[in-house]
Amino acid sequence: MISGTAALFAWTLKSDNRSVWPHAVRGAFAFMMLFTLSLAWTDAFGTTRIGLRFFETICVLNIVIITVAGISYFSTAVTEEKDAGSLALLQLAGMSSLAITLGKSTSRLVSALMLLAVQVPFSFLAVTLGGVLWQQLLAAWVALAAWLILVANAALLCSARCSTSGRAAAIAGSMAILFFLLPSVTRTTIASVPPGILPAPVMTVLSNLPPALELLSPWRRVDRILNNWQNTRFLGSQFTLSLLLAAACFAVSTLRLTAWARHANDADSQSGSRTRRLPVERCWKLPLTWRDFHFYTGGWPFFLLKFTAGLAIYSAFVVIQQVGTGQWSIVLTGDFGWTAMLVFSAVLTVEVLLYSSGSLFSELRQSTQSTIAMTPCSSVSILLQKAAGCLIAVLPAVFWSMFTLTVSRNSVLTLVDTNTIVVWALMLVFSSHVAALLSMFTRWAALPLTVLISFFAFFVIAGPVLTIPDVVDRIAITHNYQPSRLFAWAITAFWTWLFALLPLQLWIRDQWDKLSRR
Amino acid sequence: MPVITRDTVPAIAISGLSHAFRGHQALSNVSFAVLPQTLHAFVGPNGAGKTTTMRMICTLLQPNAGEVEIFGSNVRQNAAAVRRRIGYMPDHFSMYRQMTVAEYLDFFGTAYGLTQQQRDQVIGDVLTLTDMDGRRNDLISGLSRGMQQRVSLARVLVHDPELLLLDEPASGLDPRARIELMEILRELRRIGKTVFISSHILSELADLCDAVTIIDRGQVKYSGPMDLLLETTNQQPLWNLRLTTIVPGVIERLRTLTCVAEITEPEFSNGRDFIIRAAAGLSGNDLLREMLPLDLPLASFGQQRRHLNDAFMDLTTRGVPA
Repeated sequence: MISGTAALFAWTLKSDNRSVWPHAVRGAFAFMMLFTLSLAWTDAFGTTRIGLRFFETICVLNIVIITVAGISYFSTAVTEEKDAGSLALLQLAGMSSLAITLGKSTSRLVSALMLLAVQVPFSFLAVTLGGVLWQQLLAAWVALAAWLILVANAALLCSARCSTSGRAAAIAGSMAILFFLLPSVTRTTIASVPPGILPAPVMTVLSNLPPALELLSPWRRVDRILNNWQNTRFLGSQFTLSLLLAAACFAVSTLRLTAWARHANDADSQSGSRTRRLPVERCWKLPLTWRDFHFYTGGWPFFLLKFTAGLAIYSAFVVIQQVGTGQWSIVLTGDFGWTAMLVFSAVLTVEVLLYSSGSLFSELRQSTQSTIAMTPCSSVSILLQKAAGCLIAVLPAVFWSMFTLTVSRNSVLTLVDTNTIVVWALMLVFSSHVAALLSMFTRWAALPLTVLISFFAFFVIAGPVLTIPDVVDRIAITHNYQPSRLFAWAITAFWTWLFALLPLQLWIRDQWDKLSRR
Repeated sequence: MPVITRDTVPAIAISGLSHAFRGHQALSNVSFAVLPQTLHAFVGPNGAGKTTTMRMICTLLQPNAGEVEIFGSNVRQNAAAVRRRIGYMPDHFSMYRQMTVAEYLDFFGTAYGLTQQQRDQVIGDVLTLTDMDGRRNDLISGLSRGMQQRVSLARVLVHDPELLLLDEPASGLDPRARIELMEILRELRRIGKTVFISSHILSELADLCDAVTIIDRGQVKYSGPMDLLLETTNQQPLWNLRLTTIVPGVIERLRTLTCVAEITEPEFSNGRDFIIRAAAGLSGNDLLREMLPLDLPLASFGQQRRHLNDAFMDLTTRGVPA
């Protein structure tokens, strides 16, 4: 067993070492440190807390990147073997389930830990800059490492359970959304429900859920380390619980791997010759839009499911508001409006990133790119058709976000202003382009890399996006162009497309053409 | 075979084709032609440049030098028009496995701009041709390899191309599936399609194809009619004689004939098969004329053709190209 695991582990590390990408990513992380440093210097200049500001930004970024990596990179550790049909070959070669889970997931975990390690020496600059102690730095890095180990093993569980990488990533993504949103949603619910409405056991469970989840939360832990160090232990309960839960996930993945793989095979072979239960409508005039919508995003059944889920979520907020305030209204007020907006925008963001990073990759995985290239459709048409298929699939999330924003505008605007919403929308479009481009270069690291790149890009794009409308608005008012604000946003959208999106679109087209010729 | 005149435009005309990948010369001055409505085999060892040539013919790859014309249209200048006239089946499975057979063909029919009525008609036709009518609502992922290959072939035929480029269509198929595939290819030739097929299964190509191009290390070693390649031209032809029963002392009796220069029994002989070399300048008719008075129980008599395997081995070089 040891030799098999060691061989798989060594092979993965070797291939990681030979590839340019992991080194480039490590370089990008080092660059991120310098960028964050300059950001902190600008932000907190003249104060004694530059170091703290610098390190806080690094921690936030790492938490986001680790979480996104869980959805994409870690959740495909075993499913990529299932996708390639090579899991059975590994088992035939005498590799036990433990050897496979160790060999496949540990190497990825080590690669990811190396990404954390490369940042540690740079982060000590924070001590020199002031506002933070070296003990706090180390404690925060340990907390981040524990979060990474938990995410990697939870994603491994999804990977072992699911039959395809897409399903594993979807489940891992849903788990991440639930983990981060459940505490605030539950708290809002409890606060709104008058005593006596819900049974005592339910209330007990609901009241204990947020603190229980927050015990594992890296946000909470890092916040305590950096802002309340005097009352914080070096290794907190977040560390212990994360490792215990990670070990449990690893154990279940290992013990159930063979059974789940067999189940997936049986399901595949049984479903193979059967006719699809829900027939798909005839091909649309845009065949790739039809193909991506029906066969990549789940088609009408999934569309309706998402729309109904959106309705259920919004209705739940309305009902909770009614119970809490006695006010029966479709308009969400107070914390309800922006919490609902947060939920819908999070779902929309995850959906957009998952679809954009997977749409082109799904063609590459099935080697269909050259077959499509042989049709009379141009590559631009192919790419636009695929984008359209994915856009139809995100319409439920777009609808419910827009609905919440329109109907509960006042509540939403207590948390964010219009500029922030527009910048978020532009960043989402930009990130979707980056994810689509990266998915043609790397297998499953496209999403974490997208987050990393989008972070840098935010500072480049957000500045002009926030400044141009004001400038154009004033010029438009001077020249009596009405409505001036709409004109300003149109100019901003054009600017963003010309300088940020167009180069990416051209690059995507060229890379797609290149891959189609293989 | 169609009637070929001087004015016949070749289905594929390749002249001076050269291409290099990162310093490795994949093709070097390749020239050959494929006549319309023929089955043309394209054979060569692994790494000889077959797939590279195929991809250039089907407009996916631009050559460094040389020209490719499809029915007189240059692939560089008229790529879009050329694509409508060809159907390319790559050497690997590239299918949407989550679709049903009918959905898959409907998808490609739409991509080629067919109306729904045309698609309904053509999907029925190609499924009948490939004998997949009964499986139209099956998921592709549930089909056997042979059936998936038929679906691929049906997909290639959806837009009714004049020229089919099939890269290793028989690889990985069991004998029955291979034989059935060859039957379909014969049928395609009968309905007037030109088929350019690359394969490693030489025995079947020899029976099936009208012409052959042999390529090795990026250079064409032979291109022309299959019969011409398989004739034993270097010496007096050999003749195969088969008897219905074993006749004692038959070799000695045949040796007494003046027109027989040499007689041998093939390897693994069953005592009824013989290989005869006629004396210089004599034909099969002369041999037969002298043999008839011997009153042998003749089952068959015919000229021995060289096997395509032998021609292939003679023309190509041992070892993997560097």
